Amino acid sequence: MSGFRMDQGGRVDRGARVNFTFDGKPYQGFAGDTLASALLAAGVTLFGRSFKYHRPRGIMGAGVEEPNALISVDRGGGRFTPNLRATQIEIYEGLNAKSQNRWPSLKRDFGAINDRLGRFFPAGFYNKTFMWPRSFWEKLYEPAIRRMAGLGDAPSEVDPDHYDAGYAHCELLIVGAGPAGIDAALEASGSNARVILIDEQDELGGGALADPSLWPWLERSVKALQAAPNITILTRTTAFGYFHDNFIGAVERITDHLAEPGHGPREKLWKIRAAEVILAQGAIERPLVFEGNDVPGVMLASAARVFALRHGVAVGKNVAVMAAHDSGWKDALALAKAGVGIAAIIDVRDAVDAGLVAEAEAKDIPIYLNYSVIGVNGRHHVKSAQICSNDEYLGGRIACDALLMAGGWTPSIHLWSHSKGSIAWSEDWGAFLPDKPNENVRCVGACGGTFSFGKGVNLGQLPTPKDPATIKAFLDFQNDVTAKDIALAVREGYHSVEHIKRYTTNGMATDQGKTSNLNALQLASGFLDRPIEKIGLTTFRPPYTPQSFGAFAGHAKDALFIATRKSPIDSWAGEQGAVYEPVAQWRRARYFPRSGEDMHAAVNRECLAVRNGVGIFDASTLGKIEVVGPDAAEFLNRMYTNPWKQLEPGRCRYGLLLREDGFITDDGVSARLAPDRFHLTTTTGGAARVLNMMEDYLQTEWPDLNVWLTSITEQWAVIALQGPKARDVIAPFVEGIDLSPEAFPHMAVREGMICGVPTRLFRVSFTGELGYEINVPAAYGRAVWEVLWDAGEAHGITPYGTETMHVLRAEKGFIIVGQDTDGTLTPYDAGLAWAVGKKKADFVGKRSLARPDIVAEGRKQLVGLLTDDPNEVLEEGAQIVADPNQPVPMTMLGHVTSSYWSATLGRSIAIAMVAGGQGRMGETLHIPMPGRTIAAKVTAMVFYDAEGVRVNG
Amino acid sequence: MADALLRCEPVPAAPAAYSGVTITLAPPMRRWSLRAKSRQALETHLGLSLPRKIGETLGDIACLGPDEWLWRAVDVEPKETGAGLPLSVVDVSERSVGIILEGHAARAMLNAGCPLDLERFAVGRMTRTIYEGVEIILSRESETRWSVDVWRSFAEHLLLSFTTVARNR
Repeated sequence: MSGFRMDQGGRVDRGARVNFTFDGKPYQGFAGDTLASALLAAGVTLFGRSFKYHRPRGIMGAGVEEPNALISVDRGGGRFTPNLRATQIEIYEGLNAKSQNRWPSLKRDFGAINDRLGRFFPAGFYNKTFMWPRSFWEKLYEPAIRRMAGLGDAPSEVDPDHYDAGYAHCELLIVGAGPAGIDAALEASGSNARVILIDEQDELGGGALADPSLWPWLERSVKALQAAPNITILTRTTAFGYFHDNFIGAVERITDHLAEPGHGPREKLWKIRAAEVILAQGAIERPLVFEGNDVPGVMLASAARVFALRHGVAVGKNVAVMAAHDSGWKDALALAKAGVGIAAIIDVRDAVDAGLVAEAEAKDIPIYLNYSVIGVNGRHHVKSAQICSNDEYLGGRIACDALLMAGGWTPSIHLWSHSKGSIAWSEDWGAFLPDKPNENVRCVGACGGTFSFGKGVNLGQLPTPKDPATIKAFLDFQNDVTAKDIALAVREGYHSVEHIKRYTTNGMATDQGKTSNLNALQLASGFLDRPIEKIGLTTFRPPYTPQSFGAFAGHAKDALFIATRKSPIDSWAGEQGAVYEPVAQWRRARYFPRSGEDMHAAVNRECLAVRNGVGIFDASTLGKIEVVGPDAAEFLNRMYTNPWKQLEPGRCRYGLLLREDGFITDDGVSARLAPDRFHLTTTTGGAARVLNMMEDYLQTEWPDLNVWLTSITEQWAVIALQGPKARDVIAPFVEGIDLSPEAFPHMAVREGMICGVPTRLFRVSFTGELGYEINVPAAYGRAVWEVLWDAGEAHGITPYGTETMHVLRAEKGFIIVGQDTDGTLTPYDAGLAWAVGKKKADFVGKRSLARPDIVAEGRKQLVGLLTDDPNEVLEEGAQIVADPNQPVPMTMLGHVTSSYWSATLGRSIAIAMVAGGQGRMGETLHIPMPGRTIAAKVTAMVFYDAEGVRVNG
Repeated sequence: MADALLRCEPVPAAPAAYSGVTITLAPPMRRWSLRAKSRQALETHLGLSLPRKIGETLGDIACLGPDEWLWRAVDVEPKETGAGLPLSVVDVSERSVGIILEGHAARAMLNAGCPLDLERFAVGRMTRTIYEGVEIILSRESETRWSVDVWRSFAEHLLLSFTTVARNR
């Protein structure tokens, strides 16, 4: 042996040397090594500091179960990944790995003081200690605790990688490519069934990779699987979650093991729908619970076997084995055969299979039956183990440089549990096994309980003569939970396993208790004096192992994060230098600044242009629904507050939509095109919601009605032309429609042609001016807009955006649902009593309008507000009080919902929600702001052209 | 319609070729949303046969739902809109644009964002589904040719989704 690297054996490529660094120090390993095996080969024992007590920790497992050796990998350029398990990091040339949770260095860690103060940190310590004063939590306690108790650092740079994602379908999905999974795949090869075989390791084989006698079989099998056209093999892929109807999420790691990651995707998220699932996830060995079981060098027997037989690394030169299970003997014998010195086999049982004992004796291995390890000497590595007989308390010391634990095996039922399959306690295994499936799934091999590792005994903790209250015997190595924490939880009254878990945090670390759940359960069962099957297991939840955010995001990053909807005229606005704003999922032109203009200057100019000439506005994003069928009018009559049955074809009506609770949810102007055909409009943000709500009523409440709803939002581009000169602009281009005010009055609709394309021409106004909303087929929206734009130049046509639209409508006191309403306003509160059909027998929300609370005095109502100082523009959202001299906290009457500078009026205007507002006309109210108070008078909501003459122009 | 005016589409008309797939804007089409409780009522009114099962197509008409059909072709037009009848015929021609994906990799590319089992998606089938959260109507026109209808405002985003996946394959 050179160091801890054995002279022969293992699957590493001894011809391919790989250079890497750990905490800045250079090391060399072989291709096929993990970071753990390469560092162990170099004699490294210390890999990290524990979460709470900052205890020195080494490697415990050899794979996914590793709780201690969490490592950060920094590839530079923003490629930084914390909390990777050293046992699963494949080394590559130039790998830069760093330990975590230590300062200033791994060997000399300041936080280790916590270990000596450990008696002051029992379970529930944080909850009990850092309660008061409350204000200290956020600023002092939590940041300090987070600094001390932690995992790796979160990456601070933007992730430069990109990620792939996709759906796959198969007749059979096999998770786990150990012997059982490979056998299942071989059985399915050659059929027509699509088979996907997933394994988290870099090569197929699972447990067989640490059993050289199986390698010839493995090689043959892998060749056969690779040759089978119906089998897709995914290595380095973790099935992290099992969701409804055999939907499995898996992440494939594509470039993390490569020295040069290249430009391809780093990871791929597989979303797999499988007709049948076979889980072949194997089992994880359990550690034993005794004082000192977390000293670096104390590890699972199975892990030592993997390091020796798969990687050619001895975890020690003189290794002791503490067993409660036959598999520990088998591992010890396999290690001895491979040339690893075995110091002793200690077994807690007083009788062990005679064959195993004979084999051990034949190799001159000292055997201690009915003995337990009760202490471990060494801080950064094992120096010796203190043992003691279980009944006579005769002790001794065994010199060793590693101590292996064989506590039995826990089948990996994580995905089975995600699928809501039931589980049953197995005394033989000392663990829960899959019982009845909830999906089309079965478990094979060790995870199904159908593989034998031998016999063992189940116990929560090894016997010890020491006072249990004075020792630290670890259960959950990642969250630093000890046996006495479980005792404390039970003593303090936590009897449910879910409560014990949360109080002690056992099983709540990133490994979800893969090595600790069963030991904790055994202990709790003992303390509670209740059989384990009566206590039950805590719930497993996805993900099986932590996954990167990048993988979950998949393609949905940067421009593909979420769709930005664009209207047919959006590109024109961009060319004109419009400033956009997001409205629901759309982007809309907010204003069109000319050179040197800020938003206020642009909006003032745009407002005056509409009032004095003509403005052009893209209203395409308004939701539109075509309601068709003999019962269309009846349907709308039931949905909206106002009456629709008498509306004549060719006329429009403002519709107000309530929820069942009587509160306003949407509004819009709608037109009757024919007796059985309506063109509805909704707010931009409410389009989908309103269609869903109407469809819901139609399908569940009134399926007898013959009426159908079709979204036509995107069928029509809508050009709003508003202002006294609007008619002059469109007149030359309209065919088949008499535009005279007598023939085509306000709130009317006509179908005809404009610029040679069909139009639904609405004469409506959200500005209070003469105006049209010109609906044209969407593909022609931009072309029609440009024709009108060119023709309008003679009339001073001005494009305006959503900001000007907001000011113009506020001048007229028109509300915007969602800005001036907040889901608690009735039509009466909003001053829209006129829109409620008093004679209507029913409509959605009608019954709620008679509730005592709705008809009570003093409800918040919408009113106008005019500041005493006309130059003062109130802040939207500002609170309103009656008496500014009242001591804080003052009685707040409401808040400002809309507030603008009105260029038309040469002063500020505002709309506000005020308690009892409609009864406060003329009253002066106050708006307290930082350092001052603003006085404003309550008024009606219509600030401009109260008689409404301009709209009829 | 309107020879003088230019149509303006949200995605470029020029085909984009990638390894194994070409992405092309489909020609403008007439699209009619047909709704009725009774299939026969629509068949009588239109003088056409309608497919019976969701996902099936018959001629230019696909069945999208229990009471919903899509009539789509370059030049189709109902004689009457069915005034007074218990059915609904609505012009949605310009609501969507069509995107054609053609090539041996088109299926795999679509499965990057579409959750359906497209290996088992028969030629001639048409259905409403999603691609990366954007609603689409997908049909398979041949083994290697797929058509995607998407609402106009989402088209640019969807095309970017397609080309990103196609480029990274």
